Amino acid sequence: MISCQTYRASLTAGTQDAALLEHLRTCDACLDVSVEVDPDNFFRSIGGSDLVPPGGVDAFVGDVMRAVQVRGKETSMASHQPLSWRQRLAIAATVAAGITGATIFWQHERQTTAPVAAPIARAAVAPAPAKVLATKPIVETYSRNATIVEVPAEGKVNVVMIFDEKLPADL
Amino acid sequence: MIPTKETVEPDDRQLVETIRGGDPDAFEALVRRKTSKVYSLCYRIIGNSEDAKDISQLVFIKLWENLEKYDPQYAFDTWLYRMVTNVAIDFMRNKQSRENAVNSNLRLVKTSTDADQGTIVQRKEVESVFNTVSQALSPKQKTIFVMNQMEDLSSSEIAKVLGCRESTVRNHLFNARKLMQQQLRKRFPEYSRLWKEEQQ
Repeated sequence: MISCQTYRASLTAGTQDAALLEHLRTCDACLDVSVEVDPDNFFRSIGGSDLVPPGGVDAFVGDVMRAVQVRGKETSMASHQPLSWRQRLAIAATVAAGITGATIFWQHERQTTAPVAAPIARAAVAPAPAKVLATKPIVETYSRNATIVEVPAEGKVNVVMIFDEKLPADL
Repeated sequence: MIPTKETVEPDDRQLVETIRGGDPDAFEALVRRKTSKVYSLCYRIIGNSEDAKDISQLVFIKLWENLEKYDPQYAFDTWLYRMVTNVAIDFMRNKQSRENAVNSNLRLVKTSTDADQGTIVQRKEVESVFNTVSQALSPKQKTIFVMNQMEDLSSSEIAKVLGCRESTVRNHLFNARKLMQQQLRKRFPEYSRLWKEEQQ
């Protein structure tokens, strides 16, 4: 380090000389003179040397490396879960819809294929559709122009339709 | 005769390449190499050792996360300083918004007679004076002032770090000095004599 005498002789305002700045930051005896030459040296005097974090460099480096390892684990765990919450929600909704659909279909199938000896209460609930579904019209053709269609109904009366092109329209 | 083994320390760019190659020891070496530099800058900007330590740690974690983005054609220290200043400025902005009202009148103003007595500058006092008067600066002004006055970075170097024009840096420096002098006269009249000639 340069001497106080050299420093005081060489000091100019706004100096960037490394040797002068080093002296400024380490020599208390020259501080007052430094500020007289350049008021900016007042705050410049507290700069320069590198400081050490509380607890020392080793402890600091150890803390940083631990924090980095934790971040690394978090990142690798995140990369093993490629499905986002939206994708998971969509999958859950699809599964739920599938289960619901299957249940409805199963119940419907159970109702339509129910045996005759099913409980009376259930038969009373939906007897008509089963019979209607089982009803088929009887079609009889007597000639090329005449067709009789007989539709059996639940009661004794049958609906009979006669299609004959030769018959008058107001029959 | 036993051959002497010369170990040449890899420079910052080489160290970064080694880390990118997957060597965790290289990152530890880089952290060890840059700890004092990063902590010093954080401490001077923030003015509190515990906060500066936390911010420094955060800087290194960000460094590890963003190392892939570093372009080796630029100086590593410039890139690192940019990270430090960004994190520190963010921290100060949050802190400032919390404490603005509380700290505005923390120190009692000394009587004007003290100022006339002439004061011998004491280095220990300078640091606390700086921490007090620099509260008047914006986070960016303070960061630029610290980098220029205490880290000895030139205006062009600071402009590279902050990614702005050199004229912007000089503007900030001019305003920072002005505000610091005003605060010094107001809160520490015993030191204001130092700027008397400049005022006249």
